Amino acid sequence: MLQAIALTKYYASIPAVESVTFHLTAGQILGCLGPNGSGKSTTVKMITGLLEPSRGRVLYRGEDIRKDLVGFRKNLGYVPEEPNLYPYLSGREYLEMVGILRGIPQPRLGRKIDSLLTLLSLYPSRHSAIASYSKGMRQRVLLIAALLDDPEVLVLDEPLSGLDVSSALILKNLIRALGEQGKAIFYCSHVLEVVERVCSHVLILRKGTVVASGPTGEIQKRIGHSSLEGTFHHLVEDVNPDKVTRDILEVIRAA
Amino acid sequence: MMRLTSLAAKWNAYARKPFPLLVRLSIDRIVHGSNASEDEELNINFGVVLALLAIPGGFASIFLFDKYGSFLQWLRGQTNFDPLAAAFPDEYFFIVLSMAVAGGVAVWWWDSIFPDRRDFHNLVHLPVPMSKIFLANSVAVLILTSVCAIDVNGASAILFPFIVGGAQPTFSFMARFAGVHALVVVLASIFSFFAVFATAGLLMLVLPYPLFRRVSLLVRSALAALLLAMLSTSFAVPDMIRDLPRSPHSPVRLLPSAWFVGFCQLLRGRFDPALAEIGHLALIALLCVCAVAVITYALAYRRCFVRLPELADVPRGNVGTWTSVVYRVFDFFIFRTPFQRAGYRFAVNTVLRNEAHAMCTGGFLSLGAVFASQEMVSALSGKGVPGFPTAHLLSIPLILGYCLLLGIRFVFDIPAYIQANWIFRFLLDEHAREAGALARRIMLCFVACILLAALPIYVYFWGWLIAVLHGSLVAIWLLLLTETLLVGFSKVPFTCTYPPFHPAAVVYVIACALGYFGFTVAIPVLEAKALADPVAEAAFLAVTLGAWYAVHRLRTNSVEVNRQLIFEDAPANHFELLNLSDGGL
Repeated sequence: MLQAIALTKYYASIPAVESVTFHLTAGQILGCLGPNGSGKSTTVKMITGLLEPSRGRVLYRGEDIRKDLVGFRKNLGYVPEEPNLYPYLSGREYLEMVGILRGIPQPRLGRKIDSLLTLLSLYPSRHSAIASYSKGMRQRVLLIAALLDDPEVLVLDEPLSGLDVSSALILKNLIRALGEQGKAIFYCSHVLEVVERVCSHVLILRKGTVVASGPTGEIQKRIGHSSLEGTFHHLVEDVNPDKVTRDILEVIRAA
Repeated sequence: MMRLTSLAAKWNAYARKPFPLLVRLSIDRIVHGSNASEDEELNINFGVVLALLAIPGGFASIFLFDKYGSFLQWLRGQTNFDPLAAAFPDEYFFIVLSMAVAGGVAVWWWDSIFPDRRDFHNLVHLPVPMSKIFLANSVAVLILTSVCAIDVNGASAILFPFIVGGAQPTFSFMARFAGVHALVVVLASIFSFFAVFATAGLLMLVLPYPLFRRVSLLVRSALAALLLAMLSTSFAVPDMIRDLPRSPHSPVRLLPSAWFVGFCQLLRGRFDPALAEIGHLALIALLCVCAVAVITYALAYRRCFVRLPELADVPRGNVGTWTSVVYRVFDFFIFRTPFQRAGYRFAVNTVLRNEAHAMCTGGFLSLGAVFASQEMVSALSGKGVPGFPTAHLLSIPLILGYCLLLGIRFVFDIPAYIQANWIFRFLLDEHAREAGALARRIMLCFVACILLAALPIYVYFWGWLIAVLHGSLVAIWLLLLTETLLVGFSKVPFTCTYPPFHPAAVVYVIACALGYFGFTVAIPVLEAKALADPVAEAAFLAVTLGAWYAVHRLRTNSVEVNRQLIFEDAPANHFELLNLSDGGL
């Protein structure tokens, strides 16, 4: 459904992402992993059409997304990394705005917003300004905004950030259920155990390049680690965590 | 009634369509500001802003009743009163006022005129074409420009013609006068607004984005100073415009406000060739400014907004590597305790980097620069540098120092990202008595720059003795002013909530205005006289020292509670419940 072909992005002459290729099919949940600065955010921005690649293409149903960005975005739900919302709008006003811009007809939009607000425990504070929302509440608003128009492709960048335990549990179940319904989901996260539990496939980035991709279990088997954490560490980490821990303790103790 | 209801329903349905929604969103962004932190921002209702913008024009018109009232003219024995000739300087004043206020609003909205990162994150991933966002923002800017232009000039457009034409026998005179006045002031406002807008667009287009962000503050301060300077021309310039036929190369021809007054006279049919020439310039300049604003806006939108994510990910250069050397020097000589060292670094970085604080400080300094340049011009105009410094020349560092100290003291009360003040609450002892000392040292470090810049100039023109004597006096007076401004101050700058509205705030404002005249007019006059006689100068120095000591004693003897560190500026209780029934009896 969504295909990235040799995606490359240079900032000035510095490569941020180089030749990232993957294929996201319907019903697949692809987890994108990588340490800070590995190019996850740049990849997300390119596949959502927010950033133009220096080289390579993103295809949606075989067509380059840049040919019809508006058409592509009609089928895309996106939860960005930062819950950067308009603080002076209320949660309901914000969702109404998103719905109108997505072209959802009015009576259906209102009903849908109220139902989703109720289900995600935001209904009592629907008329409060977003400025007064906690990080978790903002994150839930973003989730509703992404799911509002029942998109075919979902790009979730750290969607669990700031969510409480029960909301996080609901979201994890929801992602799995959406996958089962045939949605294509690109899931970016630092939390390895969630990716391990939720995603059917993983894409591991390091310094802007893909170091491993494929079904989660298959990669673990190939690397020879039983957990995703061990596999991830084996593939991307240059540092020895035990040694760094010892060094930090030494520096703290130093006069 | 039915028709009204159906119109309202139609409007409601239209307002829920994507384009009007985007326009409303853009208007909200411009009015509420962008990028600023949402919680500590001083969010003034737009209605209040509109009311505040309308006030100057209204009041200025009311004050003119005295000039144009026919009864008062009769009492004064004024016959053959020509209202159009008499209205010329007032017309100029209203033009300058409308330009300054509209330009000021544009400077204030500088950062929010263009769609920002928040817009990008919220809108661009939705199925909305970029061109629609661009158009919606353009419409929002046009709507707000029109609203501001009408609001700023609304009161004066009604009252001023009524006052000028009230005594005239025909209504048509008043109607014609009102029409021309309204047209000219609204066009002047639009010119000023778009001139600022064009400047922002041009800079955005020419400079790399990170550099544009850095110079924005400086440019905004400079524009604010320019607008204030233009406002201050309202007393002298009308006479200079009248003299234009006799002095064709007068620099007045370069003033945009003069072009619009020329345009006004052109429409009234009261012009000579020189005035007609600059009158035509007004229209040409208006068209040029609007064209430049539109073109640069479109190009800057393409260059900056569309590429916003790339700009966000470009690594920033190191800041603060050279400043560490300066800090070390200051630590050694001035800031001796950890409290002062940490507080100084925090305060300097906040004043220089946080937009609201930098803007406010820059605004006060710009005001000082405008007043100081006026003093310099009146001291040097046609005479050259005198052999002995006059009161005008002596007042320059005092003016700059006064405005800067007042500005810094003012911004000390504006919180900077109040959620982050937990670190000070967590680490500092609230009984620490160093807040005043820290604030004093910070303020003096800032004004020391003015003193250091002024000293070589005084040495160059009037020799070492006068430079040192004047420098010492200025230093003592600035120290005295600092002590006065810090009476009762017990905060780490920028870490406390906004102070509550104090009933005596109006008195403070009047005291500041009177203090300005005392500080920058009376002192230089006395000093100019004292400098001529060494004994008088010594006596003057002694009096100054005495005054400083008195204020210093006042501060050190202030009530203990005033010196405890505070993080929440709660209003003082006006009464106290004594609970006499419990144990008092």
